[in-house]
Amino acid sequence: MPSRRRALLKVIILGDSGVGKTSLMNQYVNKKFSNQYKATIGADFLTKEVHFEDRLFTLQIWDTAGQERFQSLGVAFYRGADCCVLVYDVNVMKSFDNLNNWREEFLIQASPTDPENFPFVVIGNKTDVDGGNSRVVSEKKARAWCASKGNIPYFETSAKEGTNVEEAFQIIAKNALKNGEEEEIYLPDTIDVGSSSQQRSTGCEC
Amino acid sequence: MKGSFSVPGDYIYFKSQVPLHKIPIGSKQWRYYDFGPKHVPPLICLPGIAGTADVYYKQIMSLSNKGYRVISVDIPRVWNHHEWIQAFEKFLDAIDVHHIHLYGTSLGGFLAQLFAQHRPRRVRSLVLSNTFLETSNFSAAMPWAPIVGWTPAFLLKRYVLTGIRDGPHEPFIADSLDFVVAQVETLSKDDLASRLSLTVDSASVGPLRLSDSLITIMDTNDFCAIPQQLKDQVTERYPGARQANLKNGGDFPFLSRPDEVNLHLQLHLRRVGVEAQPDLVQGFRQDGAGGSSSDQNDEREDERRDYTGTRNENEPPLALESPCVGNFENQILSNVDLSSDQ
Repeated sequence: MPSRRRALLKVIILGDSGVGKTSLMNQYVNKKFSNQYKATIGADFLTKEVHFEDRLFTLQIWDTAGQERFQSLGVAFYRGADCCVLVYDVNVMKSFDNLNNWREEFLIQASPTDPENFPFVVIGNKTDVDGGNSRVVSEKKARAWCASKGNIPYFETSAKEGTNVEEAFQIIAKNALKNGEEEEIYLPDTIDVGSSSQQRSTGCEC
Repeated sequence: MKGSFSVPGDYIYFKSQVPLHKIPIGSKQWRYYDFGPKHVPPLICLPGIAGTADVYYKQIMSLSNKGYRVISVDIPRVWNHHEWIQAFEKFLDAIDVHHIHLYGTSLGGFLAQLFAQHRPRRVRSLVLSNTFLETSNFSAAMPWAPIVGWTPAFLLKRYVLTGIRDGPHEPFIADSLDFVVAQVETLSKDDLASRLSLTVDSASVGPLRLSDSLITIMDTNDFCAIPQQLKDQVTERYPGARQANLKNGGDFPFLSRPDEVNLHLQLHLRRVGVEAQPDLVQGFRQDGAGGSSSDQNDEREDERRDYTGTRNENEPPLALESPCVGNFENQILSNVDLSSDQ
């Protein structure tokens, strides 16, 4: 019996520079937080194995450089995304205002087959800063925006303290999985390459 | 007749710009491309059984344009893995390259691991794609291996293409198959027989001295000719390796998903500390890549090998532009009919 390939789920994290995209990813995958800010150059990714309903999946989480906004990162980066995470900083109004642009950018670049129902998750990060006193975006406002965009799941996190990060990524994984499985229907199934049947090559007319 | 296939326009452009080198080294004939700034430690691409140096033309075009040096080779006519290691070492000596990064797909990945095992000082990092650790599966599937040298070429060709999935494919994968089939057509009977021998020659990859953190595994997740359990063995052998799997792309993602593969190769090279020299990008001229230029050396003691973390500490800039970068890729992939294959 050939062993089953493990499903791969691709998650893209978008948001303004400095909102904590890399920190969220590191907190979720490595359970680590660094106070030192280092700008992500271009893009990078981390992988994590997740169990869900007795199955094992590989989450491939892509982190982007926020400053490359509106500059195309290229389709390679977006291709095959199963879930898009939009991150803003609850202490910076502009990062919230830009969520719409990030969402549009994603839909243009990734051009998912069903843009209306493509799974997004919104994260308001840095709730720990100054004990919440410097907060400028209210939860109500954020939830209203999420509701207006087709009920996007919303989480408030602190990547620094690890608050709510695991919970957010569980929903991210779950929604990515749902999307991935819908996509899967259109893909041909695996074949048993161990069989010794001689196949004719395509395209060759010797 | 052969060769009435349609050739991608970007391949024709590649052929017009990047010189093909053919040199005898020892008793072996080497056929390879070598492009990009000479003093950057090269990424050397090792193709699978149905590949040639040409199958990586999209990597050569894109990465050399970003300031990396890329070499891709035909697997020379060697008949067992000892001969492979010796021949490849002589090749590296001849082109005056010391430290290398290997990107091996299928059989090429197996040969890359063997070389890393037996010549640990030369191999700085590995990118392994749809590959395996040992040959027993293949020898079991090929009981006629002892007479491979007497088998007619058409049968060898057919066998080499066995396992490549037939049937309807999405256009990019279909094109990648056409390209590879056309490449297999250019191979001689002895080329094919030697590759098949390498695939069944009893050998397995032993422990590598290379740290897992310097290995990236880039399997395609949809289908490929290498059985899943063999690919899984590779993943289990290097638990600390970076998993850069692609959702799909079939057997030849370097042709069918070049932008994703190139992105992963770039990320890998950045992670292992290879610094691109974008300001030294060669004009794509005929004199661009002297195969064995003598002034290059990789003697610099780049002690990046102690790198352990999963994040890069000193990232050289990796500009992630649109995949349509540079003069090559802006070209529309128009198909051009060629009446002859060379």
